[in-house]
Amino acid sequence: MKRNLSILLSLVVLASMLLTACGGAQATEAPAANATEGPASNATEAPVATEPPAEKKVATFIFTQEFDSLSPLYTSMWFAWTTWQMYLHWAWEFDENNKPFPRLVTEIPSAENGGISEDGRMITMKLRDDIKWSDNTPVTADDFIFTWEMAVSPNNTVDSSYPYDAIESVTAPDPQTVVITFTDPFAPWLATLWHGILPAHVLRPVYESAGTLDGADWLTNPTVGCGPFVFADWESGSYARFVRNENYWGEPAKLDEIFIRFVPDDASQTAALQAGDADMGTFISYADVPALRDAGLNIMVEANGYSEWMFLMVNEEKGHPALLDVNVRKAIAMSIDREAIVRDLLLGLPKVPASFWDALSNYNDPPLVNYPYNPEEAKTLLDTAGWVDTNGDGVREKDGVDLEISHATTIKEIRQDVQAVMQQQLADVGIKLNVFPVDDTLYFASYAENGPAARGEYDIQEWSDGPLFPDPDLYYWLCDQIPSDENPEGENWFYICDEELDSLIKLQSTQVNAAERQKTISKINQLFYDKVYIIGLWQDPDIYAVSSRLLNVKFSGVTMFFNIADWDLAE
Amino acid sequence: MGRYIVMRFLQGIPLLLFISVILFTLMMNVGDPVATMGGRRAVRQTEYQRLRRQLGLDKPVYMQYLYWLVGNDWTQVDRDGDGIAETAGTRRGVLRGDFGVSLLNGKPVLEVIGERLPNTLMLMVASEVIIILGALLVGIYSALRQYSVIDNLLTGIMFIGYSMPIFFVALFSMYIFAVLFKRWGLPYLPTVGMFDPQVGKTTAQILWHMVLPVLSISLISFAAYSRYIRSTMLEVMGQDYIRTARAKGLPRREVVFIHALKNASLPIVTVVGLDLPLLLGGAVVTERIFAWPGMGRLFLDHVDRADMPVVMGILLLIAVAVILFQIITDIVYAWLDPRIRYDK
Repeated sequence: MKRNLSILLSLVVLASMLLTACGGAQATEAPAANATEGPASNATEAPVATEPPAEKKVATFIFTQEFDSLSPLYTSMWFAWTTWQMYLHWAWEFDENNKPFPRLVTEIPSAENGGISEDGRMITMKLRDDIKWSDNTPVTADDFIFTWEMAVSPNNTVDSSYPYDAIESVTAPDPQTVVITFTDPFAPWLATLWHGILPAHVLRPVYESAGTLDGADWLTNPTVGCGPFVFADWESGSYARFVRNENYWGEPAKLDEIFIRFVPDDASQTAALQAGDADMGTFISYADVPALRDAGLNIMVEANGYSEWMFLMVNEEKGHPALLDVNVRKAIAMSIDREAIVRDLLLGLPKVPASFWDALSNYNDPPLVNYPYNPEEAKTLLDTAGWVDTNGDGVREKDGVDLEISHATTIKEIRQDVQAVMQQQLADVGIKLNVFPVDDTLYFASYAENGPAARGEYDIQEWSDGPLFPDPDLYYWLCDQIPSDENPEGENWFYICDEELDSLIKLQSTQVNAAERQKTISKINQLFYDKVYIIGLWQDPDIYAVSSRLLNVKFSGVTMFFNIADWDLAE
Repeated sequence: MGRYIVMRFLQGIPLLLFISVILFTLMMNVGDPVATMGGRRAVRQTEYQRLRRQLGLDKPVYMQYLYWLVGNDWTQVDRDGDGIAETAGTRRGVLRGDFGVSLLNGKPVLEVIGERLPNTLMLMVASEVIIILGALLVGIYSALRQYSVIDNLLTGIMFIGYSMPIFFVALFSMYIFAVLFKRWGLPYLPTVGMFDPQVGKTTAQILWHMVLPVLSISLISFAAYSRYIRSTMLEVMGQDYIRTARAKGLPRREVVFIHALKNASLPIVTVVGLDLPLLLGGAVVTERIFAWPGMGRLFLDHVDRADMPVVMGILLLIAVAVILFQIITDIVYAWLDPRIRYDK
């Protein structure tokens, strides 16, 4: 018996030693990068004392989702959209303040520089004369025309032809000038046009021979690009690799290579970051932030246009009658300590949004200041509005109707926690909040499928929402977007129809001139605030974990990699 | 025997057709692939209708099945949405080896599966070999030394392993051997992926990155197999012919490995035969946690977005493998037990 036990123990120890020994090799081995590269040595030549080749600067990023396509027209995935900027510049890009700056163009078209016609239908872009593809072919207006043609071709199964289907024609008076004519004035042009262009010299022959781009190799293997990096390879489910574009027309990238690893599991991503197996992680959950900070990673929070909102059902047929009174709505806003929620439940990382355009500061101008947490003032407002607790049951009532409000959101843990906090805080001012956590799929089911959110079944609904970021549009608040049996696809699940709001939304959608549009959106911003149609709980930002050895990292809320050429690794 | 095998293969054809009808009908109800194509925003109605038409999803289910099975190159389709079918179809159908293209990335289904299958086989075959060899050793040892201290110890360990969810084992081992070992300054294992990008995709790197996923899969399945072997071995060891073999003075090793194990193998072969085709499906949880690019993740990712052609391809592959391995199992039965005859 003892002998058997000894054998078993020995085996366990041996296995541990073996693991350790193998690990040792991993930990101490010098990187074998470029081991097979370099000229063959010549035996007759005298050895020349040379410095060992510098280690390749390879930055490893983790994406929690794998992109489905690398072509700008064939995907709407955020992870694909954000990756384009490594190998395909946009005509203009968005900086860390979500403000546009010219990239392929000399300046952003405006009425002042003659880039926007008086009737607002024509946009003229002037391209830089030094831009070129990675195979040294110049980027010209023809590439823009080809991109538009491919987006609207019925032969291509593109994910979305928006916004190109709003264009009547794209012409090129010369190789550096692109003239875009819209059917009608098209306000979202700045936020939506030219997110990556197609290399006409590579893809036009494919389209002409196959009649479609659908099977083109370039869609998943875009070896020709115009960004600081070029695509190297992509192994499905595993990784994608981009290497420095040696023919880049701008300032060369500082990194040699970017290795994107697809890790779908959040806990695995956290472990990989803690172990140093990656330099940057995406979509970090709040729960993992302390552990990552302890491991020495920097946590970067970037507003992306989305925030968690409470949508109050200001609708005579659908909502609680009390919500028709703006003072009651204001009282609700003042009864909830949103700063404390963010501080205690979300580690103080995001802000409490005061504006629907929180991430687009020029539309939140002058910046709004949130209704403060002031339960006493809230009680006064409710008293003034006639909602008083006359029977002493702790719930206010008026004309025989209790101030008992339903609130629904999804079963996401943080939302349920916040529901519980709000329930208590509203009870303190005499409002009874009945909470309904609903499964995501059921909650967001369509109107035709009797989805509770689409049907407007609750007095207060809650989810993460925002404008068509980086465009400020909010067409889904229009009255004609309210769903009904005749209009089941309607997207106005808030069931608010406000004539003033309606006319302002329609006006801004036609304002091509950014300055004029800014004024209109600012009016809507103020209207939302004054009428308290929505109450912001917390910004729903993108959270990144970045290794301290990764330098010069800046993020935009629009995309991750607008300054990727500047990113570097510490020696 | 040959006639039997041919018959079994022929029986498999209608069975596969039946399975494909069931699976296709189920897939039609999994979700709407076009609904997820707009990112965080809903797909505009005009785009929605266009995409459904271009992807052939606007056709009735029976037509979609027919096109999937026999292709649509014998008919014309309406690509531009003017209501007139003007473009010749290009699909040849599963019966002619065309499994279609992924709705997500436009790649041929066989190419999509072909990229992942070797990775899954690498992981699962390694795990299965370790499981079977280890389980044989432990199972036989426990059976021969029933109720000994080591038998009880192994039984306890096996039950602990069996009762632990694989995600826990996987994450726990990752945290111990990768995160904590590194923190403690010890040599450590990699967390995710197949190789270190600084080193490159070498055989050594792949083997090194396989350690934790294989360990996790093995630990879970090891328990069930070894308990199964132990019980069948115990049953066989009590049979008359084993006692006779012992009485004849045969060496213990011969009694155990030739007479007992061969007869105890029949039910084990059944279990292994049922398990092997499922290896093709990969280990969904393990592959997800270790970011291993295998079939399990492929299945999950594409089911999630209702990518019918790819999911059907994977399911059909597994169905074929199940039928194939059942035939192989029957053949192995006859080899292990001469009393089994299939020919009349």
